[in-house]
Amino acid sequence: MKFNIPIGPQHPALKEPISLRMTVEGEVIRDVDIRLGYNHRGLEKLAEERSFIQCIYLTERICGICSHSHATCFVQGVEKLMEIEPPKRGAYIRYLVAELERIHSHLLWLGVAGHEAGFDSFFMYTWRDREVVMDLLEMISGNRVHYAMNTIGGVRRDLDEAMVKKILDGIQVLRTRSEFYFKIGANEPTFVGRLAGVGYLSKQQAIDLCAVGPTARASGITADVRKDDPHAVYDEVPFDVCTADSCDVLGRTVVRIKELMESYKICEFLLKNLPAGQIAVKAPKRAKPNEVVSRYEAPRGENIHYIKSNGTEKPERLKVRAPTLANYPAAVEMLKNGFIADIPLIFAAIDPCICCAERTVELVNARTGEDRVLRFSQLRALAAKRSKNLPVQRNAVWPF
Amino acid sequence: MRLAVFLPELVRHLFKKPATVDYPFKKLEVPKDFRGTPFLHPDICIACRACERDCPAEAIEITAVSDVEKKFKMIIHNDRCVHCAQCVDSCPTNPVKAMEMDHLFELACFDRHDLKMEWIFVRALPKKEPKPAAPAAGPAPS
Repeated sequence: MKFNIPIGPQHPALKEPISLRMTVEGEVIRDVDIRLGYNHRGLEKLAEERSFIQCIYLTERICGICSHSHATCFVQGVEKLMEIEPPKRGAYIRYLVAELERIHSHLLWLGVAGHEAGFDSFFMYTWRDREVVMDLLEMISGNRVHYAMNTIGGVRRDLDEAMVKKILDGIQVLRTRSEFYFKIGANEPTFVGRLAGVGYLSKQQAIDLCAVGPTARASGITADVRKDDPHAVYDEVPFDVCTADSCDVLGRTVVRIKELMESYKICEFLLKNLPAGQIAVKAPKRAKPNEVVSRYEAPRGENIHYIKSNGTEKPERLKVRAPTLANYPAAVEMLKNGFIADIPLIFAAIDPCICCAERTVELVNARTGEDRVLRFSQLRALAAKRSKNLPVQRNAVWPF
Repeated sequence: MRLAVFLPELVRHLFKKPATVDYPFKKLEVPKDFRGTPFLHPDICIACRACERDCPAEAIEITAVSDVEKKFKMIIHNDRCVHCAQCVDSCPTNPVKAMEMDHLFELACFDRHDLKMEWIFVRALPKKEPKPAAPAAGPAPS
């Protein structure tokens, strides 16, 4: 007997509310239908009525977690249109904030993964440590969430010696904590057993469905815009692309922890080699008629902005492709043949920020039209029950 | 691989102070460059409208009250403000900016119109850039 379960579309705390319709047989998901467009804000149209300077703050508000990613992606494009280059020091500070943002985003995701897997103490400790990097960002930029560091032609705030020292100290604290979490992950059989084998996405499927970011890298694809198409400072900075071959949620966790380590390395390199000089150059108000595609590796994957200018001080067209959108087809494939109780975990693993929302799952009996409504907390209780009854997977290992 | 690796960490934290702050009674200090709410120094403002033009949230409104007296009215709609501090960056007054940000962050109130701030002021004359001092006369060429 098959059931249809609609999930969504209203998730109040969600940036991108979506509706998932799942066909289930018993507890197993057989098919997923995904519907988008519930949170259309008219942002691209709004950008056409704003000057380039105003658009920076507009694009920053596309996303709350990766606000710097969108602003940087936009500014990179506009700088290409205006044919200016940020000075070296400005570029270093810009990508330092980008890496700090990656650290905060990945720590947030780790906590969420722990929460969805029923490991709530892990969630609380990672989020407490995330405060360290949030405070650093507040010190650099003057705000915790929307940093507003970018301006066309550089950054808006400079770093002094005391700040550099504080950031280096903070990174040292975070590094020891992350190593501790890595050890926990590798040694806690319940955690590894819950994540291993959930949400399988083979390498070929990941390539076919154009998965991006940690989702793709956890399937063994070395795709990273920072390496493939080094923008600004990334051709000078030594770092490795982190991959995993296990193709499941465990792999996505490992990739993110490894990326944290790489980000610490990049931050330290940028701070120790911070060149002296200007932080911004003066930018013109207008851009010549032209078009540009700007790519940027956001914490969740490749972010693309297309900007077209027509000689005025406003863009003629702005198109934004956020990484979560690119991961939806892969998420559908991951959910197939999984369990209802694994929905939160699998969906959280592409990091769509869906997990912070309290939502409803409705189970409809296809034959009688009878339906029952499950709250997200009940769904999680189901997940916890399932993991309790799960035999501990002795053979599941943490892939180093 | 062994069970309960997290346990020692949990036990250690039983004897530590909580990581959170007792908020309404104790407050954390904001950093020096915190972006709070924008405010105007009406005696320096030259009413060039650069802040009004660049504000992404259209939160600043400057209107002329009297053309003869060069009197202007500025309204900052704090309910629309996104606290980006672009107005401070755009302000051309030098060296003290006419627009500045303070450290207030507890802005909650019952009516959004209470957040409106306004100033009526006479336009200041743009100060001329002080000319760099003439270089000291070198030894006269012989």
